[in-house]
Amino acid sequence: MSDVTTTVHTDHQDHAHPPGLQHHFTNMTQQFEAAKLGMWLFLVTEVLLFGGLFVGYGIMHSKHPEAFVAAHHHLDWRLGALNTIVLLLSSFTMVMGVWAAQTGQRKKLIAFLLLTIILAMVFMGVKYVEYSHKFHEGLLPGKFYSHQGDTVPGQFMFFSFYFMMTGLHGIHVLLGIVAILWITFRAWRGHFSAQYYGPVDIVGLYWHLVDLIWIYLFPLMYLIS
Amino acid sequence: MSNHAADHAHEITGPKTYSMILLALIVLTVITVAAARFDFGNMNTVVAILIASIKGSLVALFFMHLRHDKFNAVVFVLGLFFLAVFLIWTLFDISTRKTVLPSNLKQPVQAFPGAPLNKPIRPSTGQPLGAPPAQ
Repeated sequence: MSDVTTTVHTDHQDHAHPPGLQHHFTNMTQQFEAAKLGMWLFLVTEVLLFGGLFVGYGIMHSKHPEAFVAAHHHLDWRLGALNTIVLLLSSFTMVMGVWAAQTGQRKKLIAFLLLTIILAMVFMGVKYVEYSHKFHEGLLPGKFYSHQGDTVPGQFMFFSFYFMMTGLHGIHVLLGIVAILWITFRAWRGHFSAQYYGPVDIVGLYWHLVDLIWIYLFPLMYLIS
Repeated sequence: MSNHAADHAHEITGPKTYSMILLALIVLTVITVAAARFDFGNMNTVVAILIASIKGSLVALFFMHLRHDKFNAVVFVLGLFFLAVFLIWTLFDISTRKTVLPSNLKQPVQAFPGAPLNKPIRPSTGQPLGAPPAQ
C-alpha cells in the first residue's frame, strides 16, 4: 500500500496524498462517505434478499399456523438464545474494533477483531450442533423430511424455511469471518490510522447487518406460539 | 467521550455508550424469551416483531452509527419501506383472496370452446393442435 502511495506521489507532484487516499477522491472524508454509501446500498439489497424469504415465511405461517407451531418445538430455544447473545457480543466487539481504529489504537483493534472472529466461530459451532441434531432426526426441508411420529402434518414446510433462512444467514456469517480476517491482516500490517479506517467501518456495517437479521430470525424460528 | 479524531466530520461514540447498548440488547433478548411465554392471542408475532425492531433500531442507530449519518439512514429506511410494501401488499392479497378468482375456479374455463383442457392448443385459433383450421 505504501509503495502505491509513493508511486502516486511521483506521478502527481503538485499535491501530496495522505496514505490510504485513492487519487480519484478529493479528500479522506469524500472517499469514506463514498465507500459508506456503496456499502449501505449493498446492505439494502441484502435486506431485500432476506425480505423475500421473510415474506414467504409470513405467507406459509399464516396459511399453516398449526404446522409451524408444531414444527418449532423441534428447535431448542436455549441454543437459539445462546446464539443471539453470542452474535450481540460479536457486534459489540466489532464496534469496539471500529472505535479502536477511529482512535488509532492498533493493538486494541487487532484484539477486538480477533475476539469478533472467535465469537463468530462459536456461533457457527452452535449452529453445527443444531444442524447435526436436525439431520439425525430427519427434520429436513421439503421432500427430504423423514421425521417419524408426527401428529400435525405439513411440518416439512417450516424446515424448508428454517434451513433456507438460517443457512443463508450462516453463509453470511462465514463470509463475515473471511472479511474480518482480511481486515485483521491489514490492521496487523499497519494500514489503518485515525485518519484512514474506512475498511474497518465498512466490514463493521456488514457484520452488524448479519446481527440485525438474526435478531428477527430468532423469535420467528424459535419462539412461535 | 469527547475524544475527536483529526477528521472531525465523524462523531466518535465511546466504549461506555457501546457497553450500555450491549446491556440493553441482552436485556431485550431476555424480554423476547419471556414474552414468548405469555399468550397475547393473535398479537404474539406482533409483540415479537416489535421487540426485535427495538433491538434492530439500537443496532442500526448506535453500532451502525446511523444517528450521526442522516444520509445513509434515509437510504436504509427507503430499503425498509420497499420491504414493507413487498410484505404488506402480499399479505393483503393472501388474506383477501376469494375462490371466485378465475385462477381458483374448479370448473374448466370456457375461454376456448371446443379445446379440451390439458391438451396443447394452437394459440392463433384456440383450437386443438392437429385439428383442421376453423372455417
